[in-house]
Amino acid sequence: MRSSLRFFAMRLAGALSAVLGASIISFVVLRAVPSDPARLILGPHADADQVRALSRSLGLAQSLPEQYWHYISAFVQGDWGYSFTAGASVRSIILSRAGATVELALISFAWAFSAAVVLALLVTYRSRPLLDRIARGVAFAGLGLPQFWLGLLLLLVFSHTLGVFPGPEGRISPSINPPASVSGLYTIDTLLALQPATFFDALWHLALPSFCLSFFSFGFLFRLLRSSLLEMGREPFLLVVRGKGMSRWAAFSRHALPNSFLPTLTASALVFADLLGGSVLVETVFDWPGLGQFVVQSIQRLDYSVVQAFILLSAVAYVVVNLVIDGLYGILDPRIRLGRAQ
Amino acid sequence: MTASTRVEDARCERPDLGPVLAVDGLQTHFVTKRGTVEAVRGVGFALDPGERLAIVGESGSGKSALALSILGLIEPPGKVVAGTVRLAGQNIEHLPDRAMQRIRGRRIALIYQDAMQALDPVKTIGSQLGEALRLHGGALSRKAARRRAIELLREVEVPKAAQRVDSYPHEYSGGMRQRVVIAMALANEPDVLIADEPTTALDVTTQAQVLGLLDRLVAERRTAVILITHNLALVAEFCDTIAVMYAGRLVEQTSTERLFAAPQHPYAQALLAAMLRSDRLETGPLPSIPGSPPDLVALPTGCAFRARCHVGRSLADCAAIDPPLAAVREEGRVACHHPSEART
Repeated sequence: MRSSLRFFAMRLAGALSAVLGASIISFVVLRAVPSDPARLILGPHADADQVRALSRSLGLAQSLPEQYWHYISAFVQGDWGYSFTAGASVRSIILSRAGATVELALISFAWAFSAAVVLALLVTYRSRPLLDRIARGVAFAGLGLPQFWLGLLLLLVFSHTLGVFPGPEGRISPSINPPASVSGLYTIDTLLALQPATFFDALWHLALPSFCLSFFSFGFLFRLLRSSLLEMGREPFLLVVRGKGMSRWAAFSRHALPNSFLPTLTASALVFADLLGGSVLVETVFDWPGLGQFVVQSIQRLDYSVVQAFILLSAVAYVVVNLVIDGLYGILDPRIRLGRAQ
Repeated sequence: MTASTRVEDARCERPDLGPVLAVDGLQTHFVTKRGTVEAVRGVGFALDPGERLAIVGESGSGKSALALSILGLIEPPGKVVAGTVRLAGQNIEHLPDRAMQRIRGRRIALIYQDAMQALDPVKTIGSQLGEALRLHGGALSRKAARRRAIELLREVEVPKAAQRVDSYPHEYSGGMRQRVVIAMALANEPDVLIADEPTTALDVTTQAQVLGLLDRLVAERRTAVILITHNLALVAEFCDTIAVMYAGRLVEQTSTERLFAAPQHPYAQALLAAMLRSDRLETGPLPSIPGSPPDLVALPTGCAFRARCHVGRSLADCAAIDPPLAAVREEGRVACHHPSEART
């Protein structure tokens, strides 16, 4: 028990240092960009004295370590800075936009993961050459097609021509009021508010962007799981299990599948963390009011308190997802759990 | 009652009437892009209750394919294309997989060659042993299966069995894992045990221990054993009879003493000559058999060993006709037109 506690403490320390490293790098790199925030905020017509005064009040005259310390202590207390382009605190903007990105990421991941698992099982459990060829082709396309192009194509076919899915109008029809925000996820908030019509509208708006976004993740996960299942199918212990008198399906589902999920787990975590960061291109194509769009605008306008906060939050998201996966590994793979304990 | 259930319930009904396992004319092919690989080309033998038969041959001679064919575990692109496998007189070759599942592990069990890879790495030893028991144990509860698993571990001399039952394979040494694999195979007291290279992955000392254990366990149970190996030293200690396999066929089958004393087939002679023995260590290059086994996709006409044989390399009958496995002077069976002539 003590050893697993120590294991967890060490993982946590590792995670914290990763976040710290990311914060330092983002801080230093953004300070190295040749621009004067005070000048940007005040505009080209302000005189030098005004700029100097603002600079001082922003703390820019301090040494870099001092600035970093102020930044990081404020960040931990919930003060993520002020976005001068949006005219609001970074925290309120990110929180208001995170829901859109997280919802899209969750749905896309669910799509990609379930499709990858089902198809990989279908093509490896029994030899299905035709389906295998099709699935591999789709996965290959998913990895290769530019997402913005796919998004435009989907809009053109399913929205413009066929009219079955809504066009690029964000998360909900303009004529419908968004639900009261509880979780920030429209599909959940509408259900909580007992608004089935709005729920389906939100779901309908999610369809095309989530499909577009999941395509790449699907290709990645499918190929990984397929090859891992094929490899597992050749494992001697499966033959031994069959020699004990177990049916093919039971051997596959009870022995091959749990083993081949292990490498896929790490990949899934990376895919999901990546989706959480938001996709600029897909969000732009579908006019999705998420984080990706906002961050790119901020980069273009050198609004670096936004960029800095975003990088740090992405690092936190990655680290948290990886911690969760590490925990899952410890449960699923005895070689890791007991290897540490000894 | 269907034919298949009768086969399963026939165990011990007629213990002394004929062989427990009789294989006849077994042929197994694998369809590949290069062509059809004829891995097993008409193998036949009979195994009496309690008998120990060794099948020896070099890698790629079809030994493992033969074992899997008997168990009905050949998977596409492989296929058993001809022959019968009789278990206590009943042909089990064409049984559906569902019926075979009740035979595998209960009446014919398998010990796999590589102990390091024969166990599922993410399941405990106890659950894997218990699984073998519960698959054939009717309504055996988890608790009872666990108790039985501990007994089995004790029987294969795993120390501290009551604690080790909850360990995972990676916490066991190679020798201990092979003991587990043996316990798993013997869990349901099978009539026939197929041991495919049971000790190859182990060091020599452990090999001897594991083999001694196997020897005791099968002797106690009078289990018939098919030992598949390329290690002739192993065979000498363990088996009553030997079948030498070459390019998918049995080329010589006789008692262990006779084979070691007077091998008839040129290939068997060459195999024995290539065996290193401490009592006649020689200087100079290690003895070996020139050439390599034939391509099983494009077999030559006539005898498959002809190209490497210093008797029949240029003889017309060896080039024309593949010799059948035939009885020779009551000393077993040999598939050769000119048995025993190569002795020098």
